[in-house]
Amino acid sequence: MVTVTATGMAMPRETVKVSRNIYKPYLMTIVDMRDETHDTRTLRLQFKDPEVAQTFDWKPGQFAQYSVFGVGECVFTIANSPTRKGYIECTFRQVGKVTSALRDMEIGQTIGFRGPYGNWFPVEEWEGKRLYFVGGGIGTVALRGVMQYCLDNRKLYDEILILNAARTVADLVYKSEMDEWAKVDGVTLVKAVDPGGETPDWDGKVGLAPNVFEELKPTPDNAILVTCGPPIMIRFMLLAAERLGFKPEQVYTTLENRMKCGLGKCGRCNVGPYYVCKDGPVFTAAQLAKLPKDF
Amino acid sequence: MLRKRLTRENLNKWIDGLVASGLRVIAPVRERDGGRGARDGKGGLTLFRPITSSAEIAADYTKTDLPFKEWLFPPTEVILHYRIVDGEPVLEDPEVDATKTVALFLRPCDAAAIPILDSVFGGDYEDEFYMTRRRNLTVVGLSCTEPQPECFCAAVGLSPTSEAGSDILLTPVGDEFLVEVLTEKGEQLVNQYADLFADAGDLTKEQVTEQAIAKMLRKESLPTFAETYSELFEHPVWEEIARKCLGCGVCAYSCPTCHCYDIVDEATLFEGVRCRNWDCCGFALFTLHASGHNPRPTQAHRYRQRVLHKFAYFLQTYGRNMCVGCGRCVIKCPVGMDIYEVVQKVAQASERVGV
Ligand SMILES: Cc1cc2nc3c(=O)[nH]c(=O)nc-3n(C[C@H](O)[C@H](O)[C@H](O)COP(=O)(O)OP(=O)(O)OC[C@H]3O[C@@H](n4cnc5c(N)ncnc54)[C@H](O)[C@@H]3O)c2cc1C
Ligand code: SF4
Ligand code: SF4
Ligand code: FES
Repeated sequence: MVTVTATGMAMPRETVKVSRNIYKPYLMTIVDMRDETHDTRTLRLQFKDPEVAQTFDWKPGQFAQYSVFGVGECVFTIANSPTRKGYIECTFRQVGKVTSALRDMEIGQTIGFRGPYGNWFPVEEWEGKRLYFVGGGIGTVALRGVMQYCLDNRKLYDEILILNAARTVADLVYKSEMDEWAKVDGVTLVKAVDPGGETPDWDGKVGLAPNVFEELKPTPDNAILVTCGPPIMIRFMLLAAERLGFKPEQVYTTLENRMKCGLGKCGRCNVGPYYVCKDGPVFTAAQLAKLPKDF
Repeated sequence: MLRKRLTRENLNKWIDGLVASGLRVIAPVRERDGGRGARDGKGGLTLFRPITSSAEIAADYTKTDLPFKEWLFPPTEVILHYRIVDGEPVLEDPEVDATKTVALFLRPCDAAAIPILDSVFGGDYEDEFYMTRRRNLTVVGLSCTEPQPECFCAAVGLSPTSEAGSDILLTPVGDEFLVEVLTEKGEQLVNQYADLFADAGDLTKEQVTEQAIAKMLRKESLPTFAETYSELFEHPVWEEIARKCLGCGVCAYSCPTCHCYDIVDEATLFEGVRCRNWDCCGFALFTLHASGHNPRPTQAHRYRQRVLHKFAYFLQTYGRNMCVGCGRCVIKCPVGMDIYEVVQKVAQASERVGV
């Protein structure tokens, strides 16, 4: 092919159609949705392509880029466990452009999805151990997939404690499924809200998540603590864990740096030499302590 | 490695032969209509542009105003097309430029930047947009005999005659060119015109290298921070250094190795594209979260990222630093930020606190 330039000169130009486009999303249909809070919604998505639906796999803790065509992409955790395949769930909070557009979508509509990206929780290494999950607010979303995984593989782990905390009762996510988690043998469920965030009929704890966790006197022996929440909560959780005798290697959390590519290329999400999208989002407290404070 | 020699006359014959063979030849061209901004007062910008004859090449250029990067990683590029048909999105992969291309007369700094970009866009999750253009590209480097005051390639492990990134490197020696054929791709370009090239014999570039380095004003090997960045991170020197930075992004946009990008949708109701656009770590919104939290809230945080990415993080990940010493950011910065001096200043500051 030859292109003629403005000056009338002929320039050689050939093009090919891209065939392995790393930015091309799968198409997914919204098949169900549920409001968790006034601003947070869970979507259940199904792959349009039946072959992808069959083969798509991921690990607990990985994330994906979800997109509304014409508006843009944004990053959410894959909120269901790979033990519950055939669909993808995400729980998102409406905070800006893409999340608002997503909020306007209805059941039956199509969105884009590319992933899975990032590292994951080393659930195999945790086998035989006691597990503590502490989520604050929307942070609980990052833990849901791995919690489901451990609940579905209940026999592989020692006892499990789940603390789901939020500022107010209204901000608590997964209200409707906490009962399901609590029913599993050997699982203790604690829910908590910040002082002042309770309602008259609130039957959970009142207190800041790190304090509530400390009062539960969890033993660090043969245990793993996984926590996610707003930066301030994570900071105090790490301190609480230290006081309780947890070693930094026993404590896991996830980082949420702003992302674009998800592939370690666009230069957006680094913390020192590590790209949160590739080397993270899952880090131990021991790893975090060594990282420059760029998150 | 093949070593040949080429007369000036035959060089032009070779270039015109390459053009005539249907290859796209991209070379430094002085764009007289290109507006203002050229630093040498001769008018117009010197940029890499396709040529139809060797006569179009800017013969007297020292360094192009912008690096070759835009041909491998354009400032804006469509990465996905979609249409909404009966309410349903239909996706279409875009076409990507796959023209067999020869890049002529890249200075050794600009050529060395290409393997740096390769390590980012290649690797796992290979970026087909970049890599398609890259696979179709052959690089003919041209050694520097007149380093400019801002240049400091010799301070970052290169030299005015270094081979890195070139498939063929031309070095002017006397009235002729020494032709170092460094890769198979390069060999193909030379073999087809074998009668234009003579054996190099005892022609060497040693003297040219020495003379060029002697002319270079800044060649003291720059320190790197791969070992020390953690201790340096909170150092007050960043605040001091970044005070004048405007966060305009000119340094990143004129840099041959900067590769940060944004991904955005542009659409009408029924049709649209997803684009990737150059971005810059110096912009205030670069790392801003929707929650309002920003891990890099001030220009000091952002300029620190620029320096440490180039002189610590990239080195740790890919084994070399991410600056080729072309000096473009130095001459283009509206407030005179000089990364060569900055790196030295950071190193001195770190010595003061015993890092
Ligand atoms: C690994 C990871 C997992 C996440 N998981 C979830 C989740 O499960 N549920 C959820 O509600 N949110 C999650 N987030 C945060 C979520 O990505 C942002 O809230 C979302 O991108 C905001 O997009 P927006 O277009 O609505 O906001 P706008 O403010 O309009 O954002 C514009 C752009 O900024 C970027 N951006 C803004 N804030 C953030 C942020 N906090 N993190 C990353 N990018 C941001 C996005 O790239 C977006 O395209 C996660 C973030 C990361 C990095
Ligand atoms: S060109 Fe200069 S002022 Fe602009 S962002 Fe770079 S260092 Fe700052
Ligand atoms: S940082 Fe400046 S001197 Fe170094 S390669 Fe980029 S533009 Fe050239
Ligand atoms: S999101 Fe692009 S590098 Fe991590």
